[in-house]
Amino acid sequence: MGEKEKRASNRKMPKHVAVILDGNRRWAEKRGLGTSEGHEAGARRLLENAKDCFAMGTNTISLFAFSTENWERPEDEVKCLMALFEKQFRAEMPFFQRDKIKILVIGNRAKIPESLRGLIEEVEEATKSYEGKNLIIAIDYSGRFDILQACKSLATKVKDGLIQVEDINEEAMEKELLTKCSEFPNPDLLIRTSGEQRISNFFLWQSAYTELYFPTVLWPDFGEAEYLEALTWYQQRQRRFGRRV
Amino acid sequence: MDLNQSIRLLSSWIGQIGDLGLNLLWRFIHIVVSLWYIVSGIFEAIESYAISLGLNKKYSSIDLEKLRCLAVVVDIEAVQDVAKVVELLQWLTTIGVKQVGLFDSQGLLKKSKDLILETVPGSMLLEEIGKDFSPDGKRIALEFISSSDNKEAVMKAANILLQRYLKSSHPENDKGENFFTESHLNEALGVVGENVHVPDLLLVYGPIRSHLGFPAWRLRYTEIVHMGTLKYMRYGSLLKAIHKFTGVHQNYGT
Repeated sequence: MGEKEKRASNRKMPKHVAVILDGNRRWAEKRGLGTSEGHEAGARRLLENAKDCFAMGTNTISLFAFSTENWERPEDEVKCLMALFEKQFRAEMPFFQRDKIKILVIGNRAKIPESLRGLIEEVEEATKSYEGKNLIIAIDYSGRFDILQACKSLATKVKDGLIQVEDINEEAMEKELLTKCSEFPNPDLLIRTSGEQRISNFFLWQSAYTELYFPTVLWPDFGEAEYLEALTWYQQRQRRFGRRV
Repeated sequence: MDLNQSIRLLSSWIGQIGDLGLNLLWRFIHIVVSLWYIVSGIFEAIESYAISLGLNKKYSSIDLEKLRCLAVVVDIEAVQDVAKVVELLQWLTTIGVKQVGLFDSQGLLKKSKDLILETVPGSMLLEEIGKDFSPDGKRIALEFISSSDNKEAVMKAANILLQRYLKSSHPENDKGENFFTESHLNEALGVVGENVHVPDLLLVYGPIRSHLGFPAWRLRYTEIVHMGTLKYMRYGSLLKAIHKFTGVHQNYGT
């Protein structure tokens, strides 16, 4: 997408777009390919779409790459996904640095392989000074886990005397959620591909007024045209955040 | 005017014309997408009418075994029209839905609770029945929910867990792993009156396509369907949405 197309489409762009990348396995099955090939195609699409999003003026993109429930998948598939994450982080590091994209990985890191954990820390450290473009990748994330870890974090702060019990409110809670890393923690637009119409434990707290868009296309096929359609749809929405017009 | 200035001026004009052209192209895309949605809407309305008339046998009987709990989100503008809400509940009773959670962010439906319970035949408050509700015949259990049951309830529940954590004797390096679990928070939500009935299907009535602050803790695997405005709701669309839900297969991430 060229510079001029970006300017032309600049009205009312979502500041934060969240994506549930669904459909890799079905995409592979339709083509007679293996599951790993589906996930590789999904990974390539992920970065292409991230580039388009930033080019169109979005500040933060959140990608639901691996949920807590995904650990229940076959061991080979899980290993393949962890290896794919490592491969993609290494391969795309020059892109992150060239385009000054801050990388943030949210989720419970305890079960992630050590090599991937170390690489994530390297990538986050190398990109932490960048501003204006945030790519949040949720690995071993669940919305309920996010709420619980925020509660624990507040409890620890009270125990350590950093805050009082009376200070605990919604605002305090939101500052402890894993999305606190972003200037725009609540997504304006959430896209879930493959036609499934649920948010599957992603950003439960953060999505109260998020526009939900459920296209039927499978994730590896969700390209620039499909993203433009999503943006057009979003720009026609009248967002009220629960208030009367 | 020298050559450089002329070139700069020409570049500026070309840039402006280019921007104008692309702006027009973007607006054209908007028009095409809007027309597509208008045409889809017309087809949906025709289909819904046909379903209401019973012309499509597929919808004549729906197996509701998977639909244990249905929730309805009503936009703040539409919630004033309680008669439409009552009509919707009557449709749901006819279809055979047994449990419905009614949500609006401001709690206006909670205030109209008595009127709704009096007007919808066979309706009763879910909290008066309890968890093991299995009604017979055309009966429907209703739960009235608002934003105070969402984040505010979670904060109150979190405070309960916090008090337990602070009062317990725990090692210095205990970060609350044994106090802040999903089951603990579920239990604490029950204590503050948030019943945590997890809806299988959420129908959103209004111009917006979000869940408008429906209790977040409950929404983990809920199917969310946007139904359009309450004012122009259609029985056929409701049947279709419920029928479609009964065919959904969830793998819960596995």
